[in-house]
Amino acid sequence: MKKLMALTLALLMTLSLAACGGSSGSSTGSSSGSSDSGEFVPTKTVTWICTSSAGGGSDIFSRKISEIMTSENLVNGQTIVVSNETDGSGEVGRNKIATMKGDDANYNLLTFNSGDLMPMVTNTKNRSSNFRILAIMAVDKQLLFSCPASDSKTDYAKAGGDQTDFAAAIEAAQNGTFVVIGGSKGDDITTYQKLLAEVGLSEDQMGYITYDSTSDAITAALGGNVDFVISKPAAASQYVESGDLSPVLALSTERFSGNLADAPTLSEIGDYEDVEVPVWRGVAAPAAMSDAAVAFWSDALGKVAATDSWHTDYLEKNQLIDEYKDTAAATEYVTAYEADYMAENGLS
Amino acid sequence: MGNFLSLLAGFQVALAPENIGACLLGAVLGLIVGAMPGIGSLAGCALLLPLTYKFNPTTAIIMLGALYYSNMYGGSFSAILLNIPGDSPAITTALDGYPMARKGRPGQALMTANLASFIGGTIGILILTLTASGLATLGLKFGYAEMTLILLIAMTSISWLIGENPIKGIVITMLGILVASIGMDTLSGAPRYEFGNMYLLGGVPFTPFIIGCVGFAQVIKLINEREADEKKRAGEDSKTKLSIRDSMLTKHDLKRMLPPTIRSGVMGTFVGVLPGSGATTGSMVGYAVQKKFKSEEPLGTGAIEGIAASEAANNAAAAGAFAPLLALGIPGSGTGAVLLGGLMMWGLNPGPLLFDSNPEFCWGLISSMYMANVFTLLVAVLVIPFLIKILSVPVKYMIPIITCVCIVGAYSTSNSMYGVVIMFVSGIVGYLLDKNGFPTAPMLLAFVLAPMLEKNMRKAFIASQGSLRIFVDSPLKLVLLAVFLVLVLTPVVKSIRRKMKARKAQA
Repeated sequence: MKKLMALTLALLMTLSLAACGGSSGSSTGSSSGSSDSGEFVPTKTVTWICTSSAGGGSDIFSRKISEIMTSENLVNGQTIVVSNETDGSGEVGRNKIATMKGDDANYNLLTFNSGDLMPMVTNTKNRSSNFRILAIMAVDKQLLFSCPASDSKTDYAKAGGDQTDFAAAIEAAQNGTFVVIGGSKGDDITTYQKLLAEVGLSEDQMGYITYDSTSDAITAALGGNVDFVISKPAAASQYVESGDLSPVLALSTERFSGNLADAPTLSEIGDYEDVEVPVWRGVAAPAAMSDAAVAFWSDALGKVAATDSWHTDYLEKNQLIDEYKDTAAATEYVTAYEADYMAENGLS
Repeated sequence: MGNFLSLLAGFQVALAPENIGACLLGAVLGLIVGAMPGIGSLAGCALLLPLTYKFNPTTAIIMLGALYYSNMYGGSFSAILLNIPGDSPAITTALDGYPMARKGRPGQALMTANLASFIGGTIGILILTLTASGLATLGLKFGYAEMTLILLIAMTSISWLIGENPIKGIVITMLGILVASIGMDTLSGAPRYEFGNMYLLGGVPFTPFIIGCVGFAQVIKLINEREADEKKRAGEDSKTKLSIRDSMLTKHDLKRMLPPTIRSGVMGTFVGVLPGSGATTGSMVGYAVQKKFKSEEPLGTGAIEGIAASEAANNAAAAGAFAPLLALGIPGSGTGAVLLGGLMMWGLNPGPLLFDSNPEFCWGLISSMYMANVFTLLVAVLVIPFLIKILSVPVKYMIPIITCVCIVGAYSTSNSMYGVVIMFVSGIVGYLLDKNGFPTAPMLLAFVLAPMLEKNMRKAFIASQGSLRIFVDSPLKLVLLAVFLVLVLTPVVKSIRRKMKARKAQA
């Protein structure tokens, strides 16, 4: 009986310790990091909030940067703890950063992407001006892919439509055959809407199915549930290599390289303008972060962007475009992007 | 044949001493983690993942695989003994397991769960071995319309959990659907019922909700009925069986559990393969179908058949879920996603090329599942006597312990107090509902299934532009539709017949 109790208690303690391990990072040390000369040097553990779950694109982005920062000794030997905070679809984590005050504000970073900004300004009162935008690290673009070998489950495929030819799909949609595109939330929806507007179709002619993630959308394409799928190169490249997916249309002003070079841009297949919605990946911090700390982090991120490891293990591996912007340039870019997005969607 | 040769090669990898050790460690950890409500395989794998970076990828994935797998066993422990499902697939296990334990047969209930898990899991792994990538492609054949129909079939299990008062049952089911619809609409991104609250935008998290409704509500009940319970316990104590031998199933028990186990094992595997369905749907479909077969005692009153059907299905589904993960790089569940993240960290590229480019890895994993299954069964059987002692712990100690477990479990879902708040609120609501004769099980099932049903149905309608023909235009859909209609209409037809007979008898 006593043994059992002891065992249960020991178990509970272990588990509660393990459960708390993830978020107890920022409690060590309390002295301010600013030295006398007004320069900032971190002197305690840094917390990096990622509002997407572990294993996804944003998570890999956050962990890769913190790994390089630690291994290149850019953070004065301190540890960076990546914390995945997904409550409220990420809004809770973003709000936590936006409203953080005091010394903590210098020690908390946030992964902030275009896909985070869109739902944030749509669903909450939070705006990018509530953050310090530290840097933009990379830009991603999208393509339309299809899986011509899949079962024909859609109207377009059943009618014998060619899933490798987007021009034919546009024509079919104009003539009343329903074409369906799949993709993820956020960026992909915006890209779809721009594409639709450019080719002059309505949602009843060419529909869109929203998936929780790009990998879900690709699954749907492999199963023949959608005609085309919007994806960034990284998520689709395995399937292109294995021959399951074919690149159909580059959503860019120029063609991609490598195994994606076959896909034409929109202006090549008809009398249209190219559609390109840049998807950026950036890093933000609390609005209350001191100027010295902002300068420090922006500089550290710049150093990360210049490393070989960043280029080979992250950018090339995920076919991203290298586009480092420091805090001033990034703030300007994000502000303009936000204003555009809000104007287009009638938000104020 | 090729598959078997590969499997043998896989065993060679899996039987290396360090891999056996990793497998055993994973199995033991998985049982512990699984038995703790709330800390499901997702948290377990996420916590272990960093530890495995030093291993080679095969050893690491074997350990994580064993952990994921044994979790399914562990989840049933607290469901049977405390009526707190350790994870969502164990909801249906609790329905029969807890009553059976209360009837003074906790040992047999645990043994049934273990054996059914073992057999179900083995069926799943066998099917996986034989068909591997073919199975994954089969999963892709399922479109939204098919998924909608399968979920409708799973939904029918709600109807007879409702109890004596249909109105209360319907009210509670609707409440489950209402709570599930809080948060961002996954298709359009529009917020629903969030009342300007940022936390609600992400919806009500599943684990804290279920821990509260079932676990914490149980605590409140215990506090209120402490004295009565203690008296009852004092009488029961002498009867509680404590040794493994006393927990053995009789021949008759075995005869009762085998048919549902095998049926659910096969069915569970196929449900597990379907993208995005997983073990929870598996155990619910298994349980729903079992209702249509004869059970010696009615399901829900502590029937061995009920435990066997849901446990076998959920373990088989857990095995089946590996098919799309390995063959296509599609994670079937949150845990699958974490494993996938791990694969990428080790430099493996999950996706259609994995079986070709890293065969030793894939087959090593599959053969390790056979091993994990055996290890877990051994460990699980050995711990039965210790587990049963939990039942004889006096209520005054149980209350703080279970409360602690509930809080830790609710917190660990997203490492935030939001989960704990949800847990307490749903605990109080759950207690009040229970006290007023509202059964909570239909609410939980509706909460799990309704969002999946909504998503699939809406996608089906987008693809068909709102036309109903998408549900009837292929033989497979017609079969599923027929199964659904039979399940729904049988009771109606039966009762009409009974009434007609009664009328005839009167006349």
